[in-house]
Amino acid sequence: MASTKEIQNRINSIQDTMKITKAMYMMSSMKLRKAKKKLEETEPFFKGTQIGIAECLAHFPDIRHIYFDNRVEDDHETIKKHGFIVFTGDKGMAGAYNHNAIKMAIQRIDGLAEGDEYKLFVVGEVGRSFFISNGYNVDENFRFSSNNPSMHRARIMAEYMIDLYNKGELDRIDIIYTKMLNSITEELCVERLLPLKTHSFLKEKAAKIEADAEGTSKDAKELKEGVKHVHSLNSYEMEAISQGDVFIPFYPSLKGVLEKLVHNHFTAFCYGALVECSASEENARMMAMQSATDNAEAILHDLSIEYNRVRQAQITQEITEVIGGAKALKKKKLKKKLQSQ
Amino acid sequence: MASLFNLKIIACDGVFYDGPSEMLIYPADDGEIAIMNHHEKMTGVVDIGEIRFKLEDGTWQHAVISDGLLSVYPDGSVKILAYSCEKPEDIDTFRAREALERAQDELQQKQSYIEHQISIANMARAMARLKGASHHNN
Repeated sequence: MASTKEIQNRINSIQDTMKITKAMYMMSSMKLRKAKKKLEETEPFFKGTQIGIAECLAHFPDIRHIYFDNRVEDDHETIKKHGFIVFTGDKGMAGAYNHNAIKMAIQRIDGLAEGDEYKLFVVGEVGRSFFISNGYNVDENFRFSSNNPSMHRARIMAEYMIDLYNKGELDRIDIIYTKMLNSITEELCVERLLPLKTHSFLKEKAAKIEADAEGTSKDAKELKEGVKHVHSLNSYEMEAISQGDVFIPFYPSLKGVLEKLVHNHFTAFCYGALVECSASEENARMMAMQSATDNAEAILHDLSIEYNRVRQAQITQEITEVIGGAKALKKKKLKKKLQSQ
Repeated sequence: MASLFNLKIIACDGVFYDGPSEMLIYPADDGEIAIMNHHEKMTGVVDIGEIRFKLEDGTWQHAVISDGLLSVYPDGSVKILAYSCEKPEDIDTFRAREALERAQDELQQKQSYIEHQISIANMARAMARLKGASHHNN
C-alpha cells in the first residue's frame, strides 16, 4: 500500500490538473457562446447559398466548361488531381474532434482510384502538423486557422483554391468539415465544391430516385438518410430539380453568372465551414473538459477514501506500537520491583 | 401603386431584409437594373455598390451591398444573397476610409494576382461604403 505522502502528492497533482480543465471548460463555454451566435447569424446565408446553387444548377444549360470539368481535354484526362480541404482545430484537447476529421481525410485518400493524385489543404495547426509529420502531400502555402472566422479569410481561401483549379493543378476539390447539429451531436461532412454537378447529371439522378417508389435503390437511400457523398443528391438539389426543368435567362451572361456563382458558393462554403468548425471545436472541447473534470472528481473521491484508510492504518499502528512499548516498560518496571523486594 | 413582391436579402451576418417591396434597383455589371413585380424568372449578378428598394409606404430604403447573386422566382419574389449588406447609417466611415487607404497602399506594392484581385475588391467595397454613407449624411 502506498504511503500517505505518495497519495497526498497524487491528490495534489490531480487537483492541479482539475483546475486547468475547469478553467478550459469555462473558456470554451464562453467561446462557444460567441461561436454559436455567429453560427446562428450565418445559418440563413449558408443554407441560402446551398439552395441558390442547387436552383441555378437545376436550370443551367449543359455547356462544356472548366467548372463542370467536362471540357474535351478534361474528358481525355486519365489522372484526376484531387484537392482536399480539411478543417481541424489549432489546439488539441478537444476530444475526438480533430481525430475524426483526420481519419476521414485519410479514408478519402485511401479510397482514391489508382493513379490519381491528391493534395491536402489543411486548416488548423493540429491537422497540419499531423499530415506533415506523417509524410502526406500537404500544400505548405495554405496556412489558415479556423479560430475567429472572418469573411476576409474565407475569401482568400476561396480565391487561392479557385486559382489552383483554374490553372489545372486540381480537378476535384472536396471539403471535409465538422457540422454542429446540436450541442451534443456533431457530424462530419464531405462535400464537393468543384466541379459543379451538371444539369443532366442532376436530372438523371432525380429521375432515378423518383422512378423507384419504394426507395430501395442506393441513390434514394442516400437522399433519405441525408448521406453526404460526393455523388449523391442532397435535398436542396432534389427540391430544385423537381420544381421544373426549364432554362431561365441569366444576366449579364451565362459565363458571368457561372463565374460569380462559383466564387460566391466557394467563399460562402468556406466561411460557413469555418464558422461551423469553430463552433464544433469549442463544443467538443467543452464536452471533453467537462468529462475530464468529472473523471478527476471521481479519482479524487477514490483517492481520498484510500488516503483516509492509509492514514487510519498508520495511526492504529502507531498507537499499537506506543501501547506495546508502554506495556513492555511497565513489565520491565514490575520485574525490577519484584527483584528488589 | 404598383403591386408588391416579396424581397429577401440575406447577408453573411444575418437576414438583412425580408418583406414586401414595390421596386428594387440594383447595380449590375453594365449599370443599374430595376425589378418590379411579375418580372421574368432569372438569375443575375449583383455588383458591389448601392441597392435601393421601395417599401410598402413609398419610401426608399438604401443599402450598401457587396457582390452577390440575385434570383427572381416564378411567383415574382426576389432573393439576394450577398456577402454583406449594410444600411448607410450603420456604416463606419472612419473604418471604410481606413480600408480604402489600406487597399490603395496594397495596390502600390508588388502583389500576386490573387492578392491584387482581393485588394481591388476591397477597394471597391470601401468606396461603395463611403459613397453610400455620404449620400446619407448629405
